[in-house]
Amino acid sequence: MIEDLDHLVEVAVKEVFGTMLNFHVVRDLSGAAPLNGEAHVAGSVGFTGRAIGVIYIYAATTFARQITGVLLGLNEKEVAGDEMVNDAIGEITNMVVGHLKSRLSDRGIPCVLTIPSIVRGTHFRIESISNTQRGLALFRCQKNQFVVETLIKPST
Amino acid sequence: MRPKILTVDDSKTIRLIIARAFKPFDCEVLEASNGTEGLFAAGKHRPDLIILDYTMPIMDGPEMLSRLKCDPQLGHIPVVMLTAEAGRENVVRLARMGVQDYLIKPFKEDLLIDRVGRIINLKAKGEVVAKIKRFDDPLTILLVDDKPKILEQIQFGLAETNWKVHGCSQTGEALAFCNEKPPQVILVSLLLPENEGFDLFQLLRSSVHAKDVPVFGLCVKTATAEQERAQQMGFANMVTKPIDFDDLKSKISRALDLDTSYKYFEQRDGIVHLRCPAEITPLVVREIIKCLSKTITEAVDAGLDKLVLDFSSVNAPDVDLIKLAMSAIQLCRELSVKYQIIGSAALRQESKKYEESSGWLFSDSWEEASRLLNSQVPVNT
Repeated sequence: MIEDLDHLVEVAVKEVFGTMLNFHVVRDLSGAAPLNGEAHVAGSVGFTGRAIGVIYIYAATTFARQITGVLLGLNEKEVAGDEMVNDAIGEITNMVVGHLKSRLSDRGIPCVLTIPSIVRGTHFRIESISNTQRGLALFRCQKNQFVVETLIKPST
Repeated sequence: MRPKILTVDDSKTIRLIIARAFKPFDCEVLEASNGTEGLFAAGKHRPDLIILDYTMPIMDGPEMLSRLKCDPQLGHIPVVMLTAEAGRENVVRLARMGVQDYLIKPFKEDLLIDRVGRIINLKAKGEVVAKIKRFDDPLTILLVDDKPKILEQIQFGLAETNWKVHGCSQTGEALAFCNEKPPQVILVSLLLPENEGFDLFQLLRSSVHAKDVPVFGLCVKTATAEQERAQQMGFANMVTKPIDFDDLKSKISRALDLDTSYKYFEQRDGIVHLRCPAEITPLVVREIIKCLSKTITEAVDAGLDKLVLDFSSVNAPDVDLIKLAMSAIQLCRELSVKYQIIGSAALRQESKKYEESSGWLFSDSWEEASRLLNSQVPVNT
């Protein structure tokens, strides 16, 4: 059990969004529904070792395109196709998970990362299996919301 | 030659970010998406630096690095490792692997440029074109001194030039100024508290934006220990307070290799005209001698073969002036250039004191000198 997992995730998200995108990100405690029927893009990166888990970061497609544009220095019209967005969201997710992994490693919980993968859809739900620590954090960046969902369990 | 930077990363996004970061610089960015492609590209293009991702499919960063280091042709290429994994163990492992430096994702583009700029010589695009050429070109001088009066003095002392002096009292402010738009010259007080002037110098030498900017140390004459230390560290020159502004201008001119020939030379009626100012100081003599050879050689190359040495305005001719004239005459002989000397009575008197100049022939005016040079009458050659 990692007591401050929620805090570690929040620090990682703020660091990555602040450094790479210059976005000021805050926790959203409003409890609004993560998916509202709008098309979403989810990036996921897993980790395995002394801890096993996966982190998903998902946002509405419009916000994902905005993230991609800022990351690559392009305007939204120049963001061409889903592949560019997938790659950018995958990389952002990879950095967030890499940040978390580094903190776990410093605590004697070494692990390695998987390659990023992308899920797209309007109605999907991430469910955990038993014996898994699950965290769901909602963030807000100006008018946009995004979700970071963490599933983690100690390795046997 | 433009430096080549090879970025090896499986993420197209990261490769695009890196390419964008180096866009303002005169360099070529090559891309590979895994270690295998990276080794091939390194062998083919021989980059000056490799930015290498840690985790990649097919061949990861550590494997590519170890193969690179074993290759006698490529082992010397510096590698900056890019990794999302910042744990202490990982950092120690990277250092042992022989990387020159490493960057943790997420990273700021400025940081990437800074780290790479410490290893290879990055120049901003258009930097060469924007180089200051002449003494009367506008340029910016950054003064870092915690005493506001010094800024006022320097601004006043250089008021007749086209040079703008910007003052900073703190080193952080000075670095920010250099990153925004590097000045052409930096004057740093050597007596800032807590060695800040020396620390700033080190930071400037590793800054991509300011590493080539000449830095002068500024202090009182009696601060000899500070001056010695600054010279050992590589400061371009020393300026002592109270500031001699002719000396400062001369030092800046030499540090930037500014062309000052227009102050003394002109072409008039197909003749090169060297006009010496009324006040001849060692600095003036040094400045004229510095541009003498280049100016006359260029004139000969352009088809001119006559020179007038005009010393008519000189108030107090001395041995330095005689030496200057002798240098010019020697050059005229080497280049087969005909010359005439315009001299005051005082100069004629002075020239008689030395064997080498006692036989010189003088003209009284520009008109007489140019008439003699253009006539068939034998003249000095």
